[in-house]
Amino acid sequence: MNRLLSPTSRNMRINATTRVAAATLGAAAAGWGASAVAADLAVSVLDGAGHGVAGIVIIAESDTALPDKHTPHTAIMDQQHMQFVPRVLVVQTGSGVDFPNSDQIQHQVYSFSAPKTFKLSLYAGHKYPPVIFDRPGLVTLGCNIHDGMIGYIYVTDSPFFGRSDDSGQLQLHGLPAGNYTLTAAHPQMQEAGGGALQLHLTLADNTHATPVFHLSRPLRAEPTHDGDRRWSDY
Amino acid sequence: MVRLLTGTVRQAVLGAALGVALPTLPVMAANDFYAIVDLRAVAADGVRSFLNGGLGELRFDDQHDGVRLGSVSIGYRHDFFDIVHFTADAVAYGDHDRSPLDLTEIYAEVRPYPWNSWRSRLKLGVFYAPISLENRLPGWRSAYSLSPSAINTWIGEEFRTIGAEYDLDWLGRQRGHDWEFGAMAAAYGWNDFSGTLLSTSGWAIHDRQTTLFGRIGEPDGGPVSGLREFHRDDDQRLGYYLGGTAKYLDALELRVLHYDNRANPNTFSYALRGFAWRTKFNSAGVRWTPTDRWTVIAQWLAGTTLTGDSGFNDAERTDYYGFEFHAAFVLVSWQRGADRLSGRYDGFEMHQTQSDNFFNTDRGHAWTFAYQRELNRSWSLVVEALQIDSSLALRGAIGEPTAARERELQLALRLRL
Repeated sequence: MNRLLSPTSRNMRINATTRVAAATLGAAAAGWGASAVAADLAVSVLDGAGHGVAGIVIIAESDTALPDKHTPHTAIMDQQHMQFVPRVLVVQTGSGVDFPNSDQIQHQVYSFSAPKTFKLSLYAGHKYPPVIFDRPGLVTLGCNIHDGMIGYIYVTDSPFFGRSDDSGQLQLHGLPAGNYTLTAAHPQMQEAGGGALQLHLTLADNTHATPVFHLSRPLRAEPTHDGDRRWSDY
Repeated sequence: MVRLLTGTVRQAVLGAALGVALPTLPVMAANDFYAIVDLRAVAADGVRSFLNGGLGELRFDDQHDGVRLGSVSIGYRHDFFDIVHFTADAVAYGDHDRSPLDLTEIYAEVRPYPWNSWRSRLKLGVFYAPISLENRLPGWRSAYSLSPSAINTWIGEEFRTIGAEYDLDWLGRQRGHDWEFGAMAAAYGWNDFSGTLLSTSGWAIHDRQTTLFGRIGEPDGGPVSGLREFHRDDDQRLGYYLGGTAKYLDALELRVLHYDNRANPNTFSYALRGFAWRTKFNSAGVRWTPTDRWTVIAQWLAGTTLTGDSGFNDAERTDYYGFEFHAAFVLVSWQRGADRLSGRYDGFEMHQTQSDNFFNTDRGHAWTFAYQRELNRSWSLVVEALQIDSSLALRGAIGEPTAARERELQLALRLRL
């Protein structure tokens, strides 16, 4: 099983009802060019009405070991109006994530998820260096002062990942030829069984594949209630 | 009229003086302090308020309206050792209380980091039991109106946990679930006289919380004179409450609580010239926030209170006065940006079940409508219209009609420093 999906999160658990499709997109596109040029992917995530779904985490993982293409960087997860912004991040293993606090009040960020356990003592502003996420998996973040603050960081070994844009699209470039497992995941996805979606596909060199994920159900609404979040509750 | 104006000016000066003086206090950390000055323009037509020696159920009445000091609130928050959070809130109302500024809450909460998805919390000091779903602002003020519901008004009048509360939370959302659950237990003292006010003047709707060392009422001059205080312990018996919470994402919060002050109704307090009140109740509440704009809150509370016969010269008697009570409300609130509109319906009832002569009752309902606007970071405006219809048997005993319709229109201007 994909290690990214192994945490005990209900949202992330894959079961028998998860749709797994085999695609041979590479074969269909073979012959576009004779030179050994890596493949590109244009992934789409569509809802039941055919409209693009934004913010979905997309990860392409090769079934075989890839030549080292480790490009970790530092991402930012801000805290604004008692929310993590963005609420969902995806980073490559070894990357750092910065957690500035842009609120006027202090936050106390923590995770007890297996891939990364850490805590940042009460702070405001920009106090701590980036936290390094060195194991793949799903990390759930919280604030010990404001229980309604929940954030998610998907950590993957693959260098090919991203989130769908407002039109539900994600472009991935330079994938070496081979067999891939393509995953679409989001904490608010409520597909059958509550799991993520996966596609298996084979990419040949110099191809441009356009796999499509169809969500059978809308993302679960999770109101943010900015107004109510100004208050510290009794 | 002159007396009214003099009083008003005195209150306004007191409020302004506190508001001006506060920023000049030695500043340990400026962000740790807050102060709110709340000035009111009030039009009220109710019978004399219980706060002024009568049996009206609102804060202001036809003899006590005009320009008024709503309150001056000051608070201090500070964090120690990363996991200890200290809170102190004090308030001045400018009325008959014995100290011009007094504490409403002062406590420390120890809140360690979660372990796996479990987290413990321990509160020590003086604080409110987690009953109200309205009173969410610093100083335990309602976020939806000036005057909280009848239930939460009563909590503000007669209840304070002076002791310890332990909470155990299961943070299910950290494990990918949609629900979170919590359970709590508390032990406390100094609450032997909760129930005194409800059984006498019935349910009320107002924002005048009783302070830690304060009293409520009129010392003299009214038909129901007398200052009442609640935070005393004469029987050396601890009270307790047990409660539970459930939260569904950010959309729904449920709370239940069983409360029992375990006071001995045979304990006579010579200081208060009365017996202790054994007060027990159950409460339940739900707050539903289906969208960013809408909030719906409903709460219910029902219980009993019992006291010995309260004659100063009859300390050896064992007759009891017993009462049953219940109340509920539904509140609907809509917010967009700086504007909030709220409407609330309260229903309430109290009746005496044991007596050797007079049986007091109070039945009624109330409508409250409030509009709030945040003018900027410092200033806000609240308009509240409140109408309460009640039938209080004790009014007949002092020669007044038992039934009363009382109305109150308030405009509050709040400055946060």
